[in-house]
Amino acid sequence: MNRQTAPTDWKGAAMQKRIAGRYAAERRFKLMGLGAVLLSGAFLAFLLFVMVGNGARGFLYTQVAVPIDFKAMPLTIDPARLGDDDADQLIANAGLSDIVAFAAEEALGSGGSDLISENAWKEVRSAIKADPELLNGRTMFELPASSDVDIAAKDGAKGALGAEVAALEKDGKLSTGIHWPFFRNADATDPAVAGIWGALKGSVLTIFIAFLIAFPTGVLAALYLEEYAAKNRWTDLIEVSINNLAAVPSIIFGLLALAVFINWFGLCQASPLVGGLTLALMTMPVIVIASRNAIKSVPPSIRDAALGVGASPVQVVFHHVLPLALPGILTGTIIGMARALGETAPLLLVGMRAFIGDVPGGICSPATVLPMQIFLWSDEVDRGFVEKTSAAIIVLLIVLLSMNAFAIYLRNKFEKRW
Amino acid sequence: MTFNAAALLLLIAGLALIGWLAGRARSSLLAGRAGEKLHSRPQYHGWYVALWLFAPAALFLAVWSSVSPALVTNQVLAADAAQSLPAFGFERGAILSDARNVAEGRQAAVRLPAAAPLVKPYADASQKYALIGIAAMLALALAGGLYAFTRIKPDFRARTRVEKIVMLFLLLASLVAILTTFGIVLSLLFESIRFFRLVSPAELLFGTEWAPTSGAPQPDTFGGIPLFWGTILIGAIIAMIVAIPIGMMTAVYLTQYAAPTVRKWVKPCLEILAGVPTVVYGYFAALTVAPALREFAVMLGIPNASTESALAAGIVMGVMIIPFVSSMADDSINAVPQAMRDGSLALGATPNETIRQVLIPAALPGVMGGILLAVSRAIGETMIVVMAAGLSANMTANPFASVTTVTAQIVKLLTGDQEFDSAKTLAAFALGLVLFIVTLLLNIVALRIVKKYREAYE
Amino acid sequence: MTQDDLTIADPKMKAHGVNVFYGEKQAINDVSIDVGTDLVTAFIGPSGCGKSTFLRSLNRMNDTVASARVTGRIELDGEDIYAPSMDVVQLRARVGMVFQKPNPFPKSIYDNVGYGPRIHGLAPNKADLDVIVERALIRAGLWDEVKDRLAESGTALSGGQQQRLCIARAIAVDPEVILMDEPCSALDPIATAKIEELIHELRGKYAIVIVTHNMQQAARVSQRTAFFHLGTLVEYGKTTDIFTNPKQERTKDYITGRYG
Repeated sequence: MNRQTAPTDWKGAAMQKRIAGRYAAERRFKLMGLGAVLLSGAFLAFLLFVMVGNGARGFLYTQVAVPIDFKAMPLTIDPARLGDDDADQLIANAGLSDIVAFAAEEALGSGGSDLISENAWKEVRSAIKADPELLNGRTMFELPASSDVDIAAKDGAKGALGAEVAALEKDGKLSTGIHWPFFRNADATDPAVAGIWGALKGSVLTIFIAFLIAFPTGVLAALYLEEYAAKNRWTDLIEVSINNLAAVPSIIFGLLALAVFINWFGLCQASPLVGGLTLALMTMPVIVIASRNAIKSVPPSIRDAALGVGASPVQVVFHHVLPLALPGILTGTIIGMARALGETAPLLLVGMRAFIGDVPGGICSPATVLPMQIFLWSDEVDRGFVEKTSAAIIVLLIVLLSMNAFAIYLRNKFEKRW
Repeated sequence: MTFNAAALLLLIAGLALIGWLAGRARSSLLAGRAGEKLHSRPQYHGWYVALWLFAPAALFLAVWSSVSPALVTNQVLAADAAQSLPAFGFERGAILSDARNVAEGRQAAVRLPAAAPLVKPYADASQKYALIGIAAMLALALAGGLYAFTRIKPDFRARTRVEKIVMLFLLLASLVAILTTFGIVLSLLFESIRFFRLVSPAELLFGTEWAPTSGAPQPDTFGGIPLFWGTILIGAIIAMIVAIPIGMMTAVYLTQYAAPTVRKWVKPCLEILAGVPTVVYGYFAALTVAPALREFAVMLGIPNASTESALAAGIVMGVMIIPFVSSMADDSINAVPQAMRDGSLALGATPNETIRQVLIPAALPGVMGGILLAVSRAIGETMIVVMAAGLSANMTANPFASVTTVTAQIVKLLTGDQEFDSAKTLAAFALGLVLFIVTLLLNIVALRIVKKYREAYE
Repeated sequence: MTQDDLTIADPKMKAHGVNVFYGEKQAINDVSIDVGTDLVTAFIGPSGCGKSTFLRSLNRMNDTVASARVTGRIELDGEDIYAPSMDVVQLRARVGMVFQKPNPFPKSIYDNVGYGPRIHGLAPNKADLDVIVERALIRAGLWDEVKDRLAESGTALSGGQQQRLCIARAIAVDPEVILMDEPCSALDPIATAKIEELIHELRGKYAIVIVTHNMQQAARVSQRTAFFHLGTLVEYGKTTDIFTNPKQERTKDYITGRYG
């Protein structure tokens, strides 16, 4: 042994102490990592907890039992016209709201009409349209309570309102049921009848337009770049554009849409068409990037084999490469679409933040989308909207999570290792 | 008769199907009669006819449906009944759209009395232009179809032609990205130049007073520094203080320590966190985090504590960015060759020494690129700041005070009721231009770093 | 295997009845071997025969593979290295390793060599560390080539220099055993010759175990040779005996190039 120095004394006390210190540092570090993971998880759990906690109540609503006797207070309307397009208008003109208010005063005492929602008569109207026989008799209606009564019933309240609500409860006139108007209606200023159906339909139309444009364009662009494009400056420019577009803030796309689609082309403002076009431009780069990765993972041997039996380059791509890459492309597309579905900022700028009280009829009629509805409701002062906002968030999250889960399922099912 | 683009599209699609069948049948027939072998299989002849039939007509349809509403409106405005319309503004638009809705059968009766005399001119005009459009479209479809149909011969290279057309479509699709980029640059530049005619660029970039909606006595001021500071404070400082350590440590834990099953469960959770829409984060910040922070600040006796604090927006934005940082760091750490890790462990380093002194330095370029992308994403984020950060342009380093950001101001400026050409709306585009340039630079630098880094280990 | 070839007076490491499993698959089957203190031991065999796997179990690098499991007994100076009381960090400091592909850290040459001493606290101050780094680089035969550019990145060196840097890095921790896993397989012949020369010089200072698929190399650098095949140790003995007079048919076939 011709060592130049004495061998390291690994058993010495100093060395043992040092090693113990290093292991302690190791444990601390590992704990920090675990802490970070738990912290991220805790954020997610807290967020979901707050939303579900607030929102679960938003799906329920307090109803007041009010009997309405149409024999005593006839609604003068020709039952044959209840099927007409303007039936709503006719019933309203016939003074149904007064009848309902009067019935409420009668059933609940003076001031009773303030206990039910001022839009409660619209629920009666829908019921009459569904069953004109109601006009010939006395029926017990479960009418939506006013927003204040609803909150008082859910939270408990003091003062005169609290006493009234307690009295109603004692008489068994209050009940809590699923808030169907929430799923059936469009936006309204009264939380008793405000719903997400209009926004949901707007979202579906908008995403449909976005998909119709972004998916074929994105896939074709990816095929071109991956399979045919010559390596030159133009191709580089396209690639740089796509990579950058994928990282451009979404609000910039809103500015683009406002300047080009609305101010230059004059397309219908606040419509699913413009919203969809905007989201399509935003989503396309995401689809291109995902598709390129999927196409890249198809091994060259498959192309060689197809070329070898005399297929033309276009046939190779459309008969072999594209089908094999499709699961990956779809996964990326679904994730991109889910992101577009949750997007709000660019749509703010193309006018989709307006109050839309009707369910949109087509792709050119004014509409709003679900995230925008959440944004609009979050600004409402009425306390009833707090839980409606959270309920709408739950609906949005459920839709998005199922889309993402489906994408993950697709990825796991079709993921191939060549 | 109204112009229903979707129905017409279906119509030409149907015609194209007929063209496809006809082309296919004719090529087989010709081949049989001449006894020659077809160069291309019959369906390619079919596709050739169908494409010639469909593509020009569909293109015309797209152009016509975007220009015809303007043509219709022009004709209506020329009518006598339109002369009594209010000159500009909301009411004029409402009357016109009311009349249009009735004319096109979307609503039974006019809601505004002023719209009634316009219904008939509207109906006439839209019928006229619908007829012109449909006639022209059908003519184009038939012309294209016939042209292609007459070219079918046994030795006609239909497949090559069809493939050329397909390639053209592919090329066009890939050009959409460039068009979009140009569209963004041009529209932002165009509006910004109009803004800079009213307000000097120097004022926007270096001015310290932002008050575009001040009262009449004082002129509007467009000094951008308070916005830039607010954006940096929220997006580049507070959010990153939250996101970088948590995201990095999460990635380290998941790649180096976690058992495969833990990894399998935690990663989808992070993906969920990444998939939560920003409006939900914004609502969460405004509803839950901001009031809590304000109470905390008041308890500490911090002045100017606001419910719309920079801290609330920044923290929630940081949480939103965590999955992004963690996945970038995850990729970068995984890209470091296993040999590095083995080399360090074989020297007797503990895992944390290996991670901190070998893996992270080796992954640093990739991580830095990821962080730059995260910053670019944070400063472009809109909903969280719109909902939680407020609109007062303060130059303060107090995180409990309210600040505003570029994106929040863009939204504010464009969702008010100003007419489109006012300095305020144009200012939004100028701010958009600044935001675009900054994020573009960040992205280019980041993507280049990441790319170089990947190449280094490949 | 004959017993007399195994007589090593002062074994540094002793392996007895070692099995290594990757999940369900058994990669090493009942291997027993002694590693001499002042000797170079070569493990040879066709690829996939388990020689690298066995080498990696000598400093518990298999621990980094989650599915790997080692049974049997491996001793370093009579101490069971798989015993719970054995500290893996110390073990790896005492049993250094050089890998197939040079893997310098993306740090300066100085920091590459100084990394081990620093983490183990072998140098109380900068001057001591300078001495350790210089001595390690001298021993690895790299000092003259790099002494003027110690601050340059280790990855900027040529392949052969990188590998010698990795050897210097292992030496700097003052190990007792150096394991080399095909250290020349990624190098050109000139660089290979330099590494072989280096192994000659290091002999006697450290117990060296080298895995190689190059039989000439095993013959040139080692005094003991072990032939592995399909996870078992077929023959172990003096290198001269193995190459001139193999006792097993399989060894003979391999050495004469019948398979491998």
